[in-house]
Amino acid sequence: MLPATLSLFLAALPTGQTPDFAREVRPILAEHCYACHGPDGAARKGGLRLDDPEGIDRIREGDRLSSRIDSPHPDEVMPPPETKNPLSDEEKATLRAWVTAGAPTARHWAFVAPTRPTHAGGLSRIDELVRARLEGTGLAPAEEAEPAVLLRRLHLDLVGLPPSPEEVDLFVEAHRSAPDQAVEEVTDSLLASPAFGEHWARPWLDLARYADSNGYQADQLRPSWAFRDWVIRSINANQPFDEFTIDQLAGDLLPDPSLDQRIATGFHRAAPCNVEAGVHPEENRTLQVMDRVNTTSTVWLGLTMECAQCHDHKYDPFTTREYYELYAYFNRTPLEVELPSGTTDVSHDFVGPYMDLPLGEGLAAERARLVERREDLEQAREQRIRSGLQPWTVRAREALTGAPLWQVLTPTSFDTGGGGETRLLEDGSTLLTGAVPDRAVYTIEIQLGDRPLSMVRLEALTHEELPGRGPGRGDPERRNFVLNEVEVLIDGQTVGLGEPMASFEQSGWPASGAVDGDLDTGWAIAPRFGESHELSLALEEPKHGSRLTIVLHQNYGQGRVIGRLRVSGSNASPDLRGIGDTERELILGQTAPVESDGDPLEAAFARVDGEVRELDGELAEVRGALDRIRPDRTLVMREEASPRTTHVLERGHYLSPGEPVEPGTPAALHAPGSEAPANRLGLARWIVDPANPLTARVVVNRWWAELFGSGLVETAEDFGLQSTPPSHPELLDWLALELVESGWDRKHLLRSIVTSATYRQDSRIDGAGLALDPKNRLLARGPRVRLSAETLRDQALAASGLLSSERFGPPVMPYQPPGVWRAVGRGAPTWNEARDEQRYRRGIYVVWRRAAPYPSFVTFDAPDRASCTVSRSRTNTPLQALALLNDPVQLEAALALADRSLSDEPGDPLRHIFRRVLVRDPEQSELELLAELREDRLADYRREPARADALIEGVRGVFEPTCADAPLLAACFHVAHVVLNLDEAVTKE
Amino acid sequence: MSRPPELSRRDLLHSAAGLGLAPLLGARSGTHHTPRAKRVIYLHMVGAPSHLDLFEPKPELTKRDGQLCPEEFFAGKQLAFIRERPNLLGTPTADRRYAFTRCGESGAPISNLLPNLQRMADRLAFVRTLHTDHFNHAPAQLYQLTGFERFGRPSLGAWVNHGLGTSNPDLPGFVVLITGQILGAGNSAWGAGFLPSDLQGVEFRSQGEPVLFLENPAGMSRGERTATVETIASLNESRRQRVGHPSIDARSFQYRLAHRMQDAVPELVDLGSEPEDVLELYGARPGKSSFANHCLMARRLVERGVRFVQLFDQGWDHHSGVFGNLERKAKQVDRPIAALLMDLERRGLLEETLVVWATEFGRTPMGQGTDGNGKRSAIGRDHHKEAFTIWLAGGGVNAGHSVGETDELGYGIGLDPVHVHDLNATILHLLGIDHERLTYRYQGRHFRLTDVHGRVVPGLLA
Repeated sequence: MLPATLSLFLAALPTGQTPDFAREVRPILAEHCYACHGPDGAARKGGLRLDDPEGIDRIREGDRLSSRIDSPHPDEVMPPPETKNPLSDEEKATLRAWVTAGAPTARHWAFVAPTRPTHAGGLSRIDELVRARLEGTGLAPAEEAEPAVLLRRLHLDLVGLPPSPEEVDLFVEAHRSAPDQAVEEVTDSLLASPAFGEHWARPWLDLARYADSNGYQADQLRPSWAFRDWVIRSINANQPFDEFTIDQLAGDLLPDPSLDQRIATGFHRAAPCNVEAGVHPEENRTLQVMDRVNTTSTVWLGLTMECAQCHDHKYDPFTTREYYELYAYFNRTPLEVELPSGTTDVSHDFVGPYMDLPLGEGLAAERARLVERREDLEQAREQRIRSGLQPWTVRAREALTGAPLWQVLTPTSFDTGGGGETRLLEDGSTLLTGAVPDRAVYTIEIQLGDRPLSMVRLEALTHEELPGRGPGRGDPERRNFVLNEVEVLIDGQTVGLGEPMASFEQSGWPASGAVDGDLDTGWAIAPRFGESHELSLALEEPKHGSRLTIVLHQNYGQGRVIGRLRVSGSNASPDLRGIGDTERELILGQTAPVESDGDPLEAAFARVDGEVRELDGELAEVRGALDRIRPDRTLVMREEASPRTTHVLERGHYLSPGEPVEPGTPAALHAPGSEAPANRLGLARWIVDPANPLTARVVVNRWWAELFGSGLVETAEDFGLQSTPPSHPELLDWLALELVESGWDRKHLLRSIVTSATYRQDSRIDGAGLALDPKNRLLARGPRVRLSAETLRDQALAASGLLSSERFGPPVMPYQPPGVWRAVGRGAPTWNEARDEQRYRRGIYVVWRRAAPYPSFVTFDAPDRASCTVSRSRTNTPLQALALLNDPVQLEAALALADRSLSDEPGDPLRHIFRRVLVRDPEQSELELLAELREDRLADYRREPARADALIEGVRGVFEPTCADAPLLAACFHVAHVVLNLDEAVTKE
Repeated sequence: MSRPPELSRRDLLHSAAGLGLAPLLGARSGTHHTPRAKRVIYLHMVGAPSHLDLFEPKPELTKRDGQLCPEEFFAGKQLAFIRERPNLLGTPTADRRYAFTRCGESGAPISNLLPNLQRMADRLAFVRTLHTDHFNHAPAQLYQLTGFERFGRPSLGAWVNHGLGTSNPDLPGFVVLITGQILGAGNSAWGAGFLPSDLQGVEFRSQGEPVLFLENPAGMSRGERTATVETIASLNESRRQRVGHPSIDARSFQYRLAHRMQDAVPELVDLGSEPEDVLELYGARPGKSSFANHCLMARRLVERGVRFVQLFDQGWDHHSGVFGNLERKAKQVDRPIAALLMDLERRGLLEETLVVWATEFGRTPMGQGTDGNGKRSAIGRDHHKEAFTIWLAGGGVNAGHSVGETDELGYGIGLDPVHVHDLNATILHLLGIDHERLTYRYQGRHFRLTDVHGRVVPGLLA
């Protein structure tokens, strides 16, 4: 059956006239014949080609066409029955009439450059062409929409947000005296708003298949939001569309590219990437290159080049060879996944080229502050060493001239805490042998002499009899021990211990953990196994006594206990602890003052001097903070220095290379300039060459569709021979030429459209419209289209006053029901709901994860962005009703809207609510319905105020209402909620 | 408050034409021949269970267990994980738990790991030689379920929904039930691709709300919600009278339907209303998230006219510990699947319900991982696309038969290969759809689920 609109076109055609080849005949040939008699040489039957004039000559002679399409014989009739694609009677009639008229042909309209239609003057050209098309159809143009409705339309179309009531009043007033001027002024101010780019970036990001994740198995997040921000900024700055194109396809290849031009190349890094185990990196790269070719061709040429990936195109004049010639432009990029080095894991890392972004203002200032602090600290440290080292060396020399610094203390008893044996060795150390305990508490008793004790040293030593030489006992591989706590007692009294010092500390297991009273922390030594280690403990003050008791708690488990222990004591000052044999010799042999850097004495002093240690602690913190200030990154294109040879890939498979090809553009389209480089830059310039018959048409058609709900060419994703012919071919050409000749000026073109009478028409439909043109192909009325997923969110937030004005930056995570993100795999991200203003950011900033996009967006027809999307569906489902009724963001917004209408403004809150969302003034009957709802609810809540509190608590999210009258607020919430759910609210009228 | 009159179904069909409401109200393209099945329950085991140890006994493989695999199994082949020429790994059939039993009149071999399914053997039609083109999970899942290894194409359920519509306008035509985590292909595995997006699968969740945003916020009563919906409908009606667009009625219809779903869905997912013996049959426990619950839910869904129910069960990717893991997973699914078949049968539903048990690929007859330390429990099997087993049951299926034979080691196909496209063509055929005629025009092309391939497998048809 023919669609209603097509029959309308046919009806408009005077009977008996020759069918128009381009509009009526070729679609039939393409649909029913080209599969076997079209551009694909391999599939061609009988050498007959009906997509070129010579083939048509063959059927013209003697009218061989009619006899075949009308043949009663299954073997003879065309198309053959097995194709299951028979001609309808109407189609046969059209073909016969065409052949009878001599089978005139014409090139496919979309492959011929547009021409400017003549202009009679008076009306805008858009209106003139639209009205010319309406003549004789029985439809007449509608009046202009009521001003408030028109203003809402302009706002939603240009910035994706509703106007404020004040803006409405101003506009309605201005419109009364000078409607054209009022529309032009508001259009200009909206086009200049920063919200314009946020709204118009969305369809471009659908095309760019921009998302914040890789796609496929684990679907990890990846940073490319700088590209999203670039798109918004570029659209706001009204960057000419040809430059916008060149920057994205080849910004990196421009001479001395700017930061923005390199960020723009993120367009083609948005291709999904599979890091699943078993992926072949080259296969992944091949698929990405194909994605780039196909996306480029859909976005800029409106062509389905991917059909030519495995065989010549069935309908359009493109060969497989030509496909790979386009492919060759993109075939110089590096691999984007690789096996992680140094592991046997077979999952891949995502490694494709990144670029560092400049630090934001805040971070740059923070870094400058930290650098200054680091320099101050380094200076203070140097000063302290300069002043402290000399006196310390003198004191050390005095102390060392007498007895040695440490004296070995031989235990009188060694209790292993259960099991095993001990053996006292000649050097005074104790070796533990026998059964290895899971965990242990050692208790060592020592007889003290008459000198006071100021320090205790514990040495964990290696020994041949220990597994793997120790010093731990548990495991020949991991010879660690964990000393969770040390207790020191003199004559049974616990003594306080100062800061401990260790020869080496395992990360996360510092020596301080052994004296902090916490049995979960402790000192350990991985990975320095097979070496001796020591821990020295300073008593808070030197102490006399006869009996020293040392208790070592080692409760990590798995035998992580010390295998050979030696205890020493000292009565020297604790700041001499750092002195080992080297330092000792130096100090004793030293006569000259110490000066040079890197001196072992200086290092020893730094280890023990309280002041230096404090400075070092702070330095470590500052250096860590500096390390953590990393610039954000973004994905960019990079050309490999050495070119790859591109081959035709048989059946599109990366392991089946056929004949080699060079970069080149399809012969059916315009020729590239003679000086164009054979790289992406040359391709980009070829695409925006004014001689290109496609790009400008394809682009303006999509913009038209954004405003009117459907393009002049309905198949916005395909301008090839199978496309639907344009409803207004001359208008399409005019718009395309206007775009190019204005210097690819997007704002100029949008301004021309939205200030036209055609756009400004009332969108209501009457009987004639319903009968003759339900889809509004002929534009006898204004557009009426359901809002996009993002705009629905933004509208609710804006009307309620919650919308955050923050722009740009990393993606945000507002409320999302639990359990939506539960994909599998390494590095799969988690959802962290923002509880602050970030939850009220515009939809464009919500994180886009391909395996599980934001559910309310999916419900309202958002794609998963794993592939290029030209136009979203516009469905109407019960799930959409549920999302608008119950999604917490909608409830929060409804409450805030009610609150705002009660607290901010004088007058009737119901009217305020209505105007904030629907913009126009309510009818009396509408107000009555809303008032009835409010009164019903209010009566309930006055009777049971606790229920009002419960409702507010149930819907408020993190919003804090200002209205103290809970029953009234709750009753008005119901009204706001209803208004946000009206068909009119979710629709641009 | 005045209530507008309920719209008649005919009014709606009239006003909804071309406005996206059609799939809820009836068939889109209709059938091409008399259907043998009217609905589908598709059980997808995510990760690829080892068919060799469940349905495909290979005594020769068991005999040669531990021997180096033939050169041609490895040289020049792409394997996901195995990097060195591996040893063959046989099913340890000497252990009774892993032995096979020839079941029913058909004598189909089924592992003792699946004792309940063994009793249903005569209801099953096996494909022993299914093969696919992809050996990584996400691309293979996409290939199996959308006919294309990359993103962007409609899923099988969406195609069926497109072709047949739903028979219960109060419920979605395509429901998805997921046990465990979401599979690698993500939403695309039940997506609508370029078809209108209302044809995509709707996930019924077992944790939290069964359908996203189904529940009213805390503090809002059912009566209040009714008043909200009716006020919305009244205001919509007043707007429609002014601006004339019939799509406004469709919106109000959806709001009322959504409101009905708020009652219907909780009732539907409340397994507590099932008699004890039914719960026992499935091993289902109300309120829990389990594959057993989902099988029972699937029956309740098809009973209420849902066209396509897709179950995903995560956790079958046994690169290591294949025998232990298989035993554990088999225990989770054996009873519920057998119960589902039995329950459908005794209710007379099996005759018109097609049940598919499938997965994205098979597993290698070669072992993966070392058992050099004598740790046999650690050995697994890698991904295998050359041949694997799935089965069908129910409407129009040639129960008790099997299609295809693999070679003696279960590596390649000996007889009658069945490609993924062939399986999908057959599934559509059983539903009365000619896979070559179920098309959708997009980007100037008539797209099909089976691309330009696929043939109906006669051996699977009763």
